Amino acid sequence: MKVQVFAALKDYFDKEFELAGEVQDVASLKERLSALNPGSRNMLQICRFAVGDEFVPQDFQLKESDTVCVIPPSSGG
Amino acid sequence: MNHISAEPLDVVGLLAQSHHPQAGAIVLFSGEVRDNNMGRQVAYLDYESHESMANKMTAAILEEAKQKWPLNIAVAQHRTGKVGIGESAVVVITASPHRGEAYAANRYIIDRIKHEVPIWKCEYFTDGTRKWGGNCNCHDITGDANQHVYEFDELKK
Repeated sequence: MKVQVFAALKDYFDKEFELAGEVQDVASLKERLSALNPGSRNMLQICRFAVGDEFVPQDFQLKESDTVCVIPPSSGG
Repeated sequence: MNHISAEPLDVVGLLAQSHHPQAGAIVLFSGEVRDNNMGRQVAYLDYESHESMANKMTAAILEEAKQKWPLNIAVAQHRTGKVGIGESAVVVITASPHRGEAYAANRYIIDRIKHEVPIWKCEYFTDGTRKWGGNCNCHDITGDANQHVYEFDELKK
């Protein structure tokens, strides 16, 4: 699947990258990303995840064709 | 309307479009870039968004505000990219028959944008360092990234 990250997460990952292999749900994606870059673990814990412009819960089942956006807490304004 | 703009916000132009024959009150909030934060000298801010989500979510917040208050106009636009000191990073305009609703709705809209909409600021300091902003620390209090503590609720206490 394709993963897009934003803001402070770009200090840990490329803005957009392919993640090979099966990832069952959002919770396991979070684990995969934390394992790839342990420094990002704390931030990933407070991120929301979105597929197709909609936030999805931790148990959301992911497909190989999905693009998953990892959304850190907002700091606009 | 596109709620996310990579170009400088036309604050006066947005206000000029917000007059309404049934509105006796217009409230305009402009969130502007300060030259200091937490005792450090700020050179400029750089904003990034998830544009399609930010657009949809801002539109939904404006619609919810219109359901809660009798608004003639509700407008919001947020900058992305590099925003200099004294420039507007976000504008919210509300118009209603009387001022109470326009003030309350304006506060509601900006607070929700700041907490929920996927827009992030990176502070660039005059000493050459940078820091991603973390305005929304509500998860520390609520334990849930989707649960926020809003300033407009605090005002009621």
